Amino acid sequence: MTLDDLTRTSGEWLRGTGPESDIVMCSRIRLARNLADFPFTNRASRGEKAEIEAQARAAVASAEPEASFFDVNAMPNLDRQFLVERQIISRELAGGEGPRAVAVSPRENASIMVNEEDHLRIQYMLSGFRLHEVWEEINALDDRLEEHVAYAYSPSLGYLTACPTNVGTGIRVGVMLHLPGIVANKGIDKVFRALQKINLAVRGLYGEGSQAFGDFYQVSNHQTLGKSEEEIIRMLTDVVPQVLQFERQARQELVTGRRQHLHDQVSRAYGVLKTAQTISSEETMLLLSSVRMGINLGLIDDLSIATVNELFIQTQPAFLQKLRGGELGVEERNVARASYLRARLAEGRGDDE
Amino acid sequence: MTCQRCQDEAVVHLTELVDGRRRERHLCAGCARKAGLVLPEAPADLGLDAVLTSLIKKHVGELVGELAESSCPDCRLRYVDFRTSGRLGCPHDYRAFREGLLPMLQRFHGATRHVGKRARVRPGAALRLRLRSRLRQAVAREDYEEAARLRDQIRPKDQNE
Repeated sequence: MTLDDLTRTSGEWLRGTGPESDIVMCSRIRLARNLADFPFTNRASRGEKAEIEAQARAAVASAEPEASFFDVNAMPNLDRQFLVERQIISRELAGGEGPRAVAVSPRENASIMVNEEDHLRIQYMLSGFRLHEVWEEINALDDRLEEHVAYAYSPSLGYLTACPTNVGTGIRVGVMLHLPGIVANKGIDKVFRALQKINLAVRGLYGEGSQAFGDFYQVSNHQTLGKSEEEIIRMLTDVVPQVLQFERQARQELVTGRRQHLHDQVSRAYGVLKTAQTISSEETMLLLSSVRMGINLGLIDDLSIATVNELFIQTQPAFLQKLRGGELGVEERNVARASYLRARLAEGRGDDE
Repeated sequence: MTCQRCQDEAVVHLTELVDGRRRERHLCAGCARKAGLVLPEAPADLGLDAVLTSLIKKHVGELVGELAESSCPDCRLRYVDFRTSGRLGCPHDYRAFREGLLPMLQRFHGATRHVGKRARVRPGAALRLRLRSRLRQAVAREDYEEAARLRDQIRPKDQNE
């Protein structure tokens, strides 16, 4: 698999299948792991980072033989941005320096970043609300990798990480939620505060510090020490259904109270996306969010959730530029985005797999 | 002038009025600290690192002042560098800076003991971490003979696993 192949496919986590997938876009777990006999990435020499990468490559070849291994250091900047947009690598890995890499499984469920803040950042994603399945998958992948490398671990402190905020399980368990209803009824701050009170973090679509856009929010644990992986997962599986209930309630109120207004808003959004000649990324996200909710509420019936999910990612700048085969300025991107949207939305349901 | 408590050079000179009577104290830095007298800050080195370090010491207190200069024997990271950057240098730092880290872990995680998945025990790994650190030092001082020897020590064990 090459990077260009990825422009013709999309990750399984965008399929819009699985439990609660009208609101839960995907479930994701990542594990932070380090090799026991090397300094952490920030303190490792270039030579040591190259050795870490070589060991990781060999371990991945046995543990996840179908995965493709990409040298991020040798990659053009556009390709790195492309992988960030697809949630395969972090901004930190994209902007880092020295030997670093990523392994990606064919359907993009699994990815393993090498020489990010920690030597290995293992990630597994599935569409819908399926944290237990994700844990089974990533736990097994972690075991397979460990057959080939020695992890930095202490019986009292658990998996040792470059930042003490990840020590212990090294786990981050999260769900990506689409919450246009709660945003519309202005309840989002209240939900944030309630989640923060029970030590859950809320972030935007592209992680730490990034602004939530398209009404997508990631909810995840941030404490990693003193609770087992299962306990942390249970915390999420207990709390997320309450957020889902708030969102459904909010949507229901929109439908019953202001149905005509809502239908108008959704139809206009769909209309603009289908016909615009130039459109910014921000406006696209805003309108796609309306359309996504419209499909879930039965106000649009000739478009699949999977297509809309994909469009959130495939209208980002790097994807469009990869598609056009080179760098584009802002104006050119806005034209390319509108043209891509028109083409994809004209396909309608025929595009579904 | 010598310290009134020991024979070192006095650097703190204090004049107090106690019950209307004047009292002079002349102490060395060590005795002044023991007596609970606050020392004036050393003249500021205006480098950003020095400013940050002094700020961290001020806010995190005397314990860090002592811990601050301690460093990891393996990766050579100083505790104060960790407090500035937020990143540790190697797995051994968790042992080297245990005293400073435990209260921090308690604050952030509400716990200081791991519960959950366990890694496999790999006895050779800690030794190889040390050998690699000696290898880095040997390369830095251009002792290539020692470096080659260390490399040989690290290599075969990698392949055994």
